[in-house]
Amino acid sequence: MKLWKKVYSYSSSMKTGLMLLALIALISALGSLVVPEVFFQTLLFRLLLFFLIVNMVLCTLRRVIVFNWRLLKTRRLKFVREFGILLLHAGMILIIVGAGVFLVFGQSVMISLSQGESLDVSKEMKVNKPFSIYLDDFHIEYNNDGSASQYYSQVKVTVEKEIKESAGISVNYPLDYQNIKAYQQSYGYKVRIKVTGPENKGTESLLDEEESLTIPGTDKMVKMYKYIPNYDPEYAMYSKTLRPDNPRIIFSVYEKGELLGVGVAKIGEHIKLDDKFSFVFSTVEPYTVLKLKSDPGLPVTSSGAILFMLGVSMALLAGVRVQKQKYAEGINMKNEGMSESK
Amino acid sequence: MILVLLSGVLITYFTGAIFYFVGNKTGKAKLQRIALISTIIGCMLNGIILVLRWKLTGRLPLASGSEFLLCFSFFTVIMYLIYEWKSREKKTGSVVMLIVTVLMLSVVGLMADHLAAIQPLMPALKSPWLSVHVLTAAFAYAAFALAAGLAAKNIIKKEYTQHGESICSIVSGGFAMLSISIVLGAIWAEQTWGSYWSWDPKETWALVTWIIYALYLHLHKRQNWQGKRANIMVLTGFILVLFTFFGVNYLMSGLHSYA
Repeated sequence: MKLWKKVYSYSSSMKTGLMLLALIALISALGSLVVPEVFFQTLLFRLLLFFLIVNMVLCTLRRVIVFNWRLLKTRRLKFVREFGILLLHAGMILIIVGAGVFLVFGQSVMISLSQGESLDVSKEMKVNKPFSIYLDDFHIEYNNDGSASQYYSQVKVTVEKEIKESAGISVNYPLDYQNIKAYQQSYGYKVRIKVTGPENKGTESLLDEEESLTIPGTDKMVKMYKYIPNYDPEYAMYSKTLRPDNPRIIFSVYEKGELLGVGVAKIGEHIKLDDKFSFVFSTVEPYTVLKLKSDPGLPVTSSGAILFMLGVSMALLAGVRVQKQKYAEGINMKNEGMSESK
Repeated sequence: MILVLLSGVLITYFTGAIFYFVGNKTGKAKLQRIALISTIIGCMLNGIILVLRWKLTGRLPLASGSEFLLCFSFFTVIMYLIYEWKSREKKTGSVVMLIVTVLMLSVVGLMADHLAAIQPLMPALKSPWLSVHVLTAAFAYAAFALAAGLAAKNIIKKEYTQHGESICSIVSGGFAMLSISIVLGAIWAEQTWGSYWSWDPKETWALVTWIIYALYLHLHKRQNWQGKRANIMVLTGFILVLFTFFGVNYLMSGLHSYA
């Protein structure tokens, strides 16, 4: 029993909580400098967060139990401040609990879709009712300087080929369907290559960046290294702007695995491979990358966030006034003390 | 035009810092008055640049590093002026004005040409959340700058218990604003990146900053932590604020990498 009491008093004390917070800060700071991608996934870090939650729950409960509700009638300002402090701690607990729910039950996947392509979402993640996403159109809008102004994916949500919803997804404007959100996350380009050879030995293929095509009946291979929307030799492999003002394709040709050469091709430009074969990059087909996410913890986290902000505002507004009062009282007390001593 | 105004701000802020310093050392009211006037003129010029930027771009000037720094220093000086007026204290003037001078110097040195041009917003920034998230952050940073000025003065003069009440109130205000800024940022991130918290360097360091001020607010009235330690915490907090801005923006890359 005694041990339990000790464990309880230690794990519920504010001192422990503050030490945990300090440790979390230290590990975050070092982690973000040394191993920014992984430090928050380590067992140690998650354990610390778990202990913090346990500590905060116990500490806050203890404060709720001893909370002086009579303050509401006697000293309203102090009540607002104290109550705000309780709320903000409760809010923090909910935020972390909600994040924990996401960690355990949440799902997040990236999908890429070309125009006219459809994807069965139930194959990528667990869903209540299966549905598919069909991409009508993906396009980028540009500013005058050629930078991107917005990325648009026009999609249809279908259930057994019946259209349930038609929506545009763009940055800052995700689609929400049955608690699964779809975000505009990224994009890319695929390039169609057509090879012509003797006796109709031609072929064609849609190539992703760094993907290659072996020319049938030969040891040669063409690799589509990169599509550059606005090519400028000064920028080398980087596009000068995102807008396709001067599109080029950088490719390389191999024979028996050995590099024969690297070239820059226009779209539709016929390139002779040898006496027999030639090829052309005929079209560029952009595809969209969407992030699909379901987060059953989000309602918990959101209510936590609201409580937290409400609590912080209450504690601040009332706190400043309480402090002023205290300060004024303090001065009065000092003055009284002084007058008495005189 | 903006560049001329910018040098004006730099010069007046620096003049303010020097005259506060000399005025406080010698105790001459005339020098202190010059410092105050110089500071007010600088603050007005600073405000004019923000308005010009607003007119030039047609949006609130909160989207780039230089705009943020201008806002941050503008709020800091306004808060300092209110503080000086309310407390009739000029002692921290030199430190606070030195801080904003350095901030202005970094605008001039690192990103002055940026201010004369119009850069379109990148898609992620096109959101109503931008203004509230950044405004609350700038306000919080300004409060932390002022608190750090007071704490630094205490540490230099070894009078650790001075302005305890003011520092605590100012840090509380800054802390509340930082908390709200982080939450608003998280709501926005959920909309745009599809994740309310990604352990992006900016987020991580904002959390570290938030934690040190949280520790201060829990501890500053305790016997072992009063005085020197509390002052050091407030100053450390501000160094973290600066690192969260400069270090993360210019040394580390992440989701928050904007010009």
